[in-house]
Amino acid sequence: MSLYVLEGLRPWVIQRVSAVYIVLFIVYAASCYFTADAIAYESWKNWLYNPFNTTVVGIFVIALLFHAWIGMRDVVLDYVHNIMFRIFILAILIGILIGSGLWVFRILLLSVVSIG
Amino acid sequence: MVGRLMSDNRPVYLNLLKIRLPVPGIVSFAHRITGVLLFLSLPFAVYLLDLSIESQDSFARVQQILDQPVMLIVQILLLWSIAHHFFAGIRFLLIDAEIGVEKSQARTGAWLVMAAEVLTLFVIVWGMGI
Repeated sequence: MSLYVLEGLRPWVIQRVSAVYIVLFIVYAASCYFTADAIAYESWKNWLYNPFNTTVVGIFVIALLFHAWIGMRDVVLDYVHNIMFRIFILAILIGILIGSGLWVFRILLLSVVSIG
Repeated sequence: MVGRLMSDNRPVYLNLLKIRLPVPGIVSFAHRITGVLLFLSLPFAVYLLDLSIESQDSFARVQQILDQPVMLIVQILLLWSIAHHFFAGIRFLLIDAEIGVEKSQARTGAWLVMAAEVLTLFVIVWGMGI
């Protein structure tokens, strides 16, 4: 199967670079969570409204989608050998990932608009 | 000669219960399983994110949903998955950087991953106040 998205060093690099970003984000998000005075709607909304947080969450989602795509793609390539079934599953994965990504960007956009 | 070939072609009986995967193997396999679990939870996590930010009421509903006993178990499972994927992933990054590749080091690293994830899980569960 010689599809561009399925081979080469680039997915390997993307997987590692996104992994490093995700690790940094989790450390930052966890530190915010554990140092928060209270977990309440207002403070949560204000946290996400902060431009820095909106940005790092947005980048996190992009990193997570690429990371999940390459990881799931590798699992499918290892265990699903029938080409048609493989393409079918990969298409569903892409649908779930892009759908989730667009949904998060809608959430981020609305959360920023509704306060300002 | 024929007898020899015949005996070499005997089916191999693999008793899966008797195969003991070395610790680095367990960590590697679990990294894969937790990755798939986390992927499957993604749409539900986005749904909860949406509810949590929409309004005061829907935020309260998220807390209500997460407080259900079944959801507590799901949360612990997913937090454990995150902890494992996190620490095992860092270990793989270090191995990519040629740190901890040698057999005994790789084994120590795998044990450290297990210790770190269990410790993290305890801290999180303790923090959840269950």
